Amino acid sequence: MKRRSFLKGTLATGAAAVAVNAGLLTPSTVLAEWNKNAFSAKSTDDALNSVFGSTSAAASGDIKLKAPAIAENGAVTPVTVDASAMSGVESIAILASKNPMPLVCTYNFASAAEGYVSTRIKMGETMNVIAVVKAGGKLFKAEQEVKVTIGGCGG
Amino acid sequence: MAIKIRMRGKSKGGVAEVKALIKHPMESGVRMNKKTGKPYPAKYIDTVKVTVNGADAVDAQWSGAVSANPYMAVKVKANAGDEVKLSLTDNTGETGEETLKLK
Repeated sequence: MKRRSFLKGTLATGAAAVAVNAGLLTPSTVLAEWNKNAFSAKSTDDALNSVFGSTSAAASGDIKLKAPAIAENGAVTPVTVDASAMSGVESIAILASKNPMPLVCTYNFASAAEGYVSTRIKMGETMNVIAVVKAGGKLFKAEQEVKVTIGGCGG
Repeated sequence: MAIKIRMRGKSKGGVAEVKALIKHPMESGVRMNKKTGKPYPAKYIDTVKVTVNGADAVDAQWSGAVSANPYMAVKVKANAGDEVKLSLTDNTGETGEETLKLK
């Protein structure tokens, strides 16, 4: 037992060292800084505040949020957010309202991209999927409930 | 070891939907190892970047709540022959990269 935790410890520190090395060796490839506050926020409001600096998003019918009404396996819930009907889409955030850390992912779009994202996310229980779209400096959102029959965050 | 990525995409009327399948455990750091009672160490992709012919198109940040072996699709304004590049970094510093020439 002790040997196991010892091995685990060394592995973990090894990984951290690799991370540091990679960071030092390739500083030019470091992308936009990862928003740690937003991703560790425990509520959707806190997460939205960290990402967009505001929580007041207006519901919009122009956002097409496609998610299953019932997800058989919460660990792979397909979610598609299509805001290409809106102009000037700057970013899209996907949140799962009851996950321990609700913010799942954020996407920022340059002019060479359309406001469209499709991905698969983990959901621990039945909850709402929220898509927040920033377009023309304003926030819009769409929400849909997904019933999860098998959770995705347990072992 | 580099992260493995498979990409597909086709341009239609100046817009290309680019799909990618990424091989990655996406361990959130929350899931418990029942034997030891400790969480599995976090290992997930945190930054994702898509460029078209070298110009930024999509910049994404992920948490551990994106499914294992992630699938991602985005739409970019690009024509046949354009090069779409996807690059990834995970929280342990591992990187992956794949370039796709649109048809």
